[in-house]
Amino acid sequence: MARRERVASTRRALIRPAPLQTSQQRGRAAPLLPWSAAPTDELPFETANESWLALCGLSDDSTTRAHITTLAFDFSPRVNTDEPDAILLEVRGSFRLFGGARALCRQFVERTTSLGGSLSWALAPTPLAALALARARQQVIVLSRERLVGLLSPLPPTVLRWPEATRQRLESIGVRSLGDVLRLPRAGFAQRFGQAALQSLDRLTGAAVDLRRNHRKAERFRSRIEPSFELQSDALILRHLEPVLLDLEHFLCLRQAAIEALQLRLRHVAPHAETHLVLRFAAPQWQAAACRELLALQLARSVLPAAVISCELRSGALRPRVACSAALWRGSEQGAGVTAGVPALVERLRARLGEEAVYGLCLVPEHRPERASRIAEPALGLHVAGSDQASLTNDIAIRRSFTRRPLWLLQQPRVLPWPLAKLQLLEGPERIETGWWDGAEVARDYYIARHRDGSRLWIYRRRALPHEWYWHGVFG
Amino acid sequence: MVTPTPKEPQSRELEALLEHPAIWCGRSAARVATRSTGYAELDAALPGGGWPAQGLVEILTSRSGVGEIQLLVPLLVQSGQLAPPRWAAWVAPPFEPYAPALVAAGVPLAQQLIIRTAQPLWAIEQALSSGGCAMVLGWPGPRPGITALRRLQLAAQRGGTPAFLFRPLGEATCSSIAELRIVCEPLPMAQPGVRPGTQPGAQLQLLKSRGGLRSPFSVHWNHGQT
Repeated sequence: MARRERVASTRRALIRPAPLQTSQQRGRAAPLLPWSAAPTDELPFETANESWLALCGLSDDSTTRAHITTLAFDFSPRVNTDEPDAILLEVRGSFRLFGGARALCRQFVERTTSLGGSLSWALAPTPLAALALARARQQVIVLSRERLVGLLSPLPPTVLRWPEATRQRLESIGVRSLGDVLRLPRAGFAQRFGQAALQSLDRLTGAAVDLRRNHRKAERFRSRIEPSFELQSDALILRHLEPVLLDLEHFLCLRQAAIEALQLRLRHVAPHAETHLVLRFAAPQWQAAACRELLALQLARSVLPAAVISCELRSGALRPRVACSAALWRGSEQGAGVTAGVPALVERLRARLGEEAVYGLCLVPEHRPERASRIAEPALGLHVAGSDQASLTNDIAIRRSFTRRPLWLLQQPRVLPWPLAKLQLLEGPERIETGWWDGAEVARDYYIARHRDGSRLWIYRRRALPHEWYWHGVFG
Repeated sequence: MVTPTPKEPQSRELEALLEHPAIWCGRSAARVATRSTGYAELDAALPGGGWPAQGLVEILTSRSGVGEIQLLVPLLVQSGQLAPPRWAAWVAPPFEPYAPALVAAGVPLAQQLIIRTAQPLWAIEQALSSGGCAMVLGWPGPRPGITALRRLQLAAQRGGTPAFLFRPLGEATCSSIAELRIVCEPLPMAQPGVRPGTQPGAQLQLLKSRGGLRSPFSVHWNHGQT
């Protein structure tokens, strides 16, 4: 019991910033190093197992910065971009993937140096230490906290980017390095330089937790290209869009996401207005090749008013990607994911023929024949379009009541184009008299008739005067 | 007709050669993978005892509504009973398919895809080559060229899907590369026995087939009895 209490209290002391000295202790000049006795395995997981890679010397150029940020996500999901001159990554979790800290740093540096600029980097257990080391151009890898203080001590205090007044005051009392700062008494330091400075020192050495906001990745993809000449043909436009589409695929892969819509904006030479093409995917899509194919179809369908001077690609909202393993069999073989081709087919057809040209059917519980069948969105998901639909189609009584229905229905009932003598009434009448409550009342007697040429028709006679005959359907 | 004598090695080789699905002798049926049509009379007449599992089938009718869809209803029902249920695409049908009738016949409504287009050939080709559909019902419009039909045939083979093309009877004289051409006509009217409630059916004739029945025959369906 006593032992557990002791452990708990040690842990509490380590998680919190080191407590300030009381007035009685003030004269004793206690050193600022509260971690020296702490065994590492008792540290909370967060602080004990972090390794921060800092990359300093970034210019203000926002595109380079954005590019490096994107690149950083290849190495770690925890990227912090709050520092104006640096990017911080927590990379401890990626060591094994890249084959160790050294290999990871080498790859990161190799990929960033190609972007130009005088960048410097450092890897340390705390973000502030990594920043300090990188700003001082010490390109080192520090994994354990024991070595940290020794490496930080010779650095000038300017690497912490404290306010100018603090720095001047430190200089005036003869403090020229971080080692000197850390040797100052805590209470006196807090009184002279403020609580914030003391806390940043604690965060520097790892005595206090340094919580960093993760960089939130852009939620939409947006990229514009402006070729040096006017694009006259679809093929040229597509060729210029290819790298952008690959960027899009990479963007989506990093986020494990997919998109359901993609917009292409084409700017033309003045005075023509912009052309906007919108692709809608039947299933969330992320592959550049599939997008390209659909764009090609969409472009072939639309007529551009003039030559194109710039293209912009904008994605719709990102959706989480549902990955599924590739089929072992080809589409036509037994056991293959046979319905997998349908969403792609619907997409391709809609890209060329338009949204409304491709549809499915659904049943409506309604006595009026023209309202009993309705156009519906194709049920591409695994779920059948609503459970009521399934129960409707399975209801044996409903099915029986439909047995005298034609396979083809005319969109509008037509006045019978032949004299009644040409027809032979086979079955009927079936009276349908309903709908008086919503203004579309029907009162009809339906018959199944056979035309002299052999086709079977569904005709009706209006109950209201003058009892005209109408043709409403054809039995397949 | 070759009468193989099993003693001679040459004839055994010849027999092995004749096993190939693309070769058939004059009166014997070609060995093709088929799926039952659901009608005993039609199964008996068709080579292989059913609809071909892939390739082009032409159904020629004097007008729409003489029973050409009824021929395919059992196949539509079968596709819906597979696990997972497979889709059927209807490309440019002349009228609107009516959901209650499909449901009554047992056709799975959720797996019907209807495509309205002025370019039916392109849509049929896409539906065939996607491999996602169990069958494609297409109304290709007036006089599709031989090149277009060839494209469809290749797409059907690529996707392993049968395509049923509905064409007017007037195009029966045009040459076609379809594996199967069927003329579908209503049963003659005003027979003394025809009374209301008599089983309806259709008069069929195989115009072209790899060794099917030559003479016209009739098929009756149990309308509404299921």
